[in-house]
Amino acid sequence: MGSGYKNQELRMKTTQASGYTTRSLLFMFILIVGWNPVRSQNTAPAKNRLDVSGGYKEFLDRVQGYVKLHKASEGTLPALKSTDRPELISAHQQALAQKIREARTNAKRGDIFTESAEKAFRNSILDEFQGAHAQDARTTIQQGAPVKAIHLHVNETYPDGVPFTTLPPTLLLKFPKLPNQVAYRIVGHDLILLDVEANLVIDTILETIPSDS
Amino acid sequence: MYKHLSFALILVGAFLGLAHADQFKFPLKPNSVRFAAIGDMGTGEKPQYQIAQQMISVHQAFPFDFVIMLGDNIYGGSAPKDFEKKFEEPYKPLLDAGVKFYASLGNHDNPNERLYKFFNMNGSNYYTFKKGNVRFFALDSNYMDSGQLTWLEKQLKDAGNKDWKICFFHHTLYSTAKAHGSAVELRSLLEPMFIRYGVDAVFAGHDHVYERIHPQGGIYYFTEGSSGELRTGDLKRTSIEEKGFDVDRTFMVIEISGNEMYFETLSRVGNLIDSGTLPRVARLAPKSN
Repeated sequence: MGSGYKNQELRMKTTQASGYTTRSLLFMFILIVGWNPVRSQNTAPAKNRLDVSGGYKEFLDRVQGYVKLHKASEGTLPALKSTDRPELISAHQQALAQKIREARTNAKRGDIFTESAEKAFRNSILDEFQGAHAQDARTTIQQGAPVKAIHLHVNETYPDGVPFTTLPPTLLLKFPKLPNQVAYRIVGHDLILLDVEANLVIDTILETIPSDS
Repeated sequence: MYKHLSFALILVGAFLGLAHADQFKFPLKPNSVRFAAIGDMGTGEKPQYQIAQQMISVHQAFPFDFVIMLGDNIYGGSAPKDFEKKFEEPYKPLLDAGVKFYASLGNHDNPNERLYKFFNMNGSNYYTFKKGNVRFFALDSNYMDSGQLTWLEKQLKDAGNKDWKICFFHHTLYSTAKAHGSAVELRSLLEPMFIRYGVDAVFAGHDHVYERIHPQGGIYYFTEGSSGELRTGDLKRTSIEEKGFDVDRTFMVIEISGNEMYFETLSRVGNLIDSGTLPRVARLAPKSN
């Protein structure tokens, strides 16, 4: 790349010295056109960062909307505090999940991970798995007994007894902080947004965690 | 034939276990903090019950007040019957004796375990409590987000330097086990904070073995992930290991008095696996794994 730049500069000087003939103008045009991809590659990270921030803002707005719905659904149920009766915890979890499903009957993938949000998350994940923490992030996922070959769907309960794949902490720190009611999870190669109190999948991004993790 | 042999071995084991329970050398000092540590235990299978039985025997000679749980408290589901079979039944005599259990969450745990009263989490994935001159910090290593890190730093700072500081959670920061090994990424976030704010000891599970690591940065690291599960022969035994055991299930009992921590690690049949007296130490430079 470096020698390419030098050659281009040398060629530009040579062209200027020859008095801007038609041939040299054409040559310059090619150079400028040829230059653009290089420029766009160099500025790509900055552009992505802008995309991330816009996408994340939209995502957090959607999350806030979801949390309102969660609270409204929960408000219709008897309050649950710490209890020595696990059947009450289980019943509350199921009842809350049912209320939320009823309130989001038409919920579909992409409602919360909108297009721009999904792009932002994919960028952050790509950045993590190509960056300085890439190997550690892969190791973290492998250490957490990753779940393979499974896709969960919106409004589906997280399967009882299936362990949670460990989210690489450095990746987690790149994502927007979430309210207590919801959490990110990795399931296979998908990123999911889980309502932890209802144990309910509320949105997913498919095939975003690299296949070698 | 084999059934008779197994029965005889169990009898011998039980005898050795009970015999050992009479030989505890804990100082049992007045106002000392006494507790047990178990990890990766919630299988509901026979070995978990055998470890529980040992804990009950030990409790008669060494009346520990509480138990810290290092995650994977309830494997394979979170139905009411799971709580019964994998927690309430095996530890019933301890619960009846007033022993409290303080849980941290493992990757096999439903986060709603935080609402289960016997786990004393008060509805939170991470929390702190104090016993005598020891401040405990239970962390959720499944989900180390900025909120938890900020909370932890504040709690460690506010705790000052007077009391012991003990952190416990699921994913072990130092481990020579082949199955999982050290959680290096998590360590890069937690260890600097532990050193800065004077954490004295860390207890974790996840690898289904027992292991004690040479002090790292002046901090004692224990992995106790074999109180129900076991991964036989899993330890690589590298130079960071001080003591390791991967041939049977284990649990730990600990007494802290003044600036000393006494500990013993016992197997399913009551054999002494590891023991010692550890002082609060000046900080050492951390080794790399």
